[in-house]
Amino acid sequence: MAEKHDLKSLASAIQSFASSSPFLSYLTELYEKYESVNEGTVANYIPELGKALPEWFGICVATVNGQVFEVGNCNQLFTMESISKPFVYGLALEDYGREYINSKVSVKPIEETLNSIALDEKSKRPYNPIVNAGAIATTDLIKGNGVGARLKRILDMFERYTGRKHDIYMPAFVSDKAYGNRHRAIAYLMLNFGIISEKIDETLDLYFHQSAIQVNAHDLGVMAATLANGGVNPITGERAIDERYVQDVVSVMQTCGMYDSAVEWAYRVGMPAVSGISGGISAVVPGKLGLGVFSPPVDEGGNSIRGMKVCEDISKDFGLHIFNVAQPKHNLKDLIESGESVDDW
Amino acid sequence: MPKVVSIHSYRGGTGKSNTTANLSTSVALQGQRVAVVDTDIQSPGIHNLFGLDPERMDKTLNNFLWGQAPIEDAAYDVGGNVGVQGDGKLFLIPASIRPDDISRILSEGYDVKLLHEGFRKLVKGLNLDYLFIDTHPGLSKETFLSIAISHVLILILRPDKQDYQGTAVTVDVAKQLKVRKMLLVVNKALSSMNFDALKQKVEDTYGTTVAGIFPLSEDMVQLASEGVFCVKYPDHRVSQEFRKVALQVMA
Repeated sequence: MAEKHDLKSLASAIQSFASSSPFLSYLTELYEKYESVNEGTVANYIPELGKALPEWFGICVATVNGQVFEVGNCNQLFTMESISKPFVYGLALEDYGREYINSKVSVKPIEETLNSIALDEKSKRPYNPIVNAGAIATTDLIKGNGVGARLKRILDMFERYTGRKHDIYMPAFVSDKAYGNRHRAIAYLMLNFGIISEKIDETLDLYFHQSAIQVNAHDLGVMAATLANGGVNPITGERAIDERYVQDVVSVMQTCGMYDSAVEWAYRVGMPAVSGISGGISAVVPGKLGLGVFSPPVDEGGNSIRGMKVCEDISKDFGLHIFNVAQPKHNLKDLIESGESVDDW
Repeated sequence: MPKVVSIHSYRGGTGKSNTTANLSTSVALQGQRVAVVDTDIQSPGIHNLFGLDPERMDKTLNNFLWGQAPIEDAAYDVGGNVGVQGDGKLFLIPASIRPDDISRILSEGYDVKLLHEGFRKLVKGLNLDYLFIDTHPGLSKETFLSIAISHVLILILRPDKQDYQGTAVTVDVAKQLKVRKMLLVVNKALSSMNFDALKQKVEDTYGTTVAGIFPLSEDMVQLASEGVFCVKYPDHRVSQEFRKVALQVMA
């Protein structure tokens, strides 16, 4: 147990042994398993994203009981990018209700790219809140007087989800805005069909701002755990979203959150999740836990390679696929509880 | 919040099992749900004090450590044997006294982490207020772990040079392990000794509270582990001292 033979080292080894968590050990093994994976590339469609290091890798699991297990670079900040979209969709639902929001944005998965300039042929609505068109439409619906007030509402919402204040990474915002002509085209197309208001510049500013909100893997885990916990942050106890709309947010994550990989993801992993081009994945296991993974190298579909592998392993090992009925390899409850401090018995 | 209480001594023969039995019974008689685990697997014996016949011990702690049974299956309700009634409960998780089982433990050892997990399952499964751990004397990985997870550590020593030296080492270890609360119990003190002076000397030496001093008792020797002393002789001076220590454990 202890390599040194002095009393202090022995005591230290015993203490860490007494307080070690089997679940954390499991996550550590998972981290070590995928740490050396060098597939994928760091996204660089805007220069700021390309500055991320490929070796950054963090895994965070937060339970609905407020326990948090972390391995790796869980404090490393990165920009949310598309991960913000289902959460902003939830805020729009709170502002206007399901019926009205559904009249503006559909919930259909599509095989086309995230950045597609395509609307539903019949209804002229964006296909879902995760594609850029849908995300712009839901952003347009966020109430508030001007960009500042509307952005504050979004930041306040994320603070409720994570339990801490968030900053905008301005260089990413500036980059996104500079490279945003395609987004403008999508917005004007939707304006043409009466899907969004005429405040296009303001809405796109808000849209680029929300993509540039800085989070870390810990935040992603707690955000997902908040949804898993019916909309209440399990650590702070604060409600982040009206419980009526949790199912809407989680549903669009399940069907659209992993973009082109959504169907295969649903089949192989079966956890509602949303991914960002910067390398984050936030996955929800309703009633149990939230999972946040960050690793910048992404596949062609824009999903974190290590993140997907971690989610798939956790899903299989603990039987967390939404449709799983088989006996899992490990019992999640036992593994988590067996690491409790004696003071939590 | 449930409390884990480890009873330990550096050397054998200090009266560890007797102290464990009397303290756990005193706490259960206060209406608490209590369990005692005999982790002195190499030389088990506390079951005798609680009147648990080895023939009745279908499952023991050994079976749990070997993955043959849940630990709750090795928990025997011995409260009725020592007059625990009402809300109070007293369970004993004995270790096997079969020679083959002891031999296996001596040759193979056991998974300390699993034992720790067993403690947790007992506390939760039996909804315990107190878990008493009767340890094997001396210093070992198993003992260190019990000390590390205890809310209260009771160290028993006799007024004897070997005990004094060994206890000093144990106190050092316990302090390194940041034990939450440590109490010393001096046992088998000659009646001719000045107990107040002895208490002061021991407290000054170790910088730790002495919870009780027990005289070398012929009545205790005469009982010969055929029951729990404080139940058989509730008004005895020794029983009063046990109750005094029990109150400090519960404080």
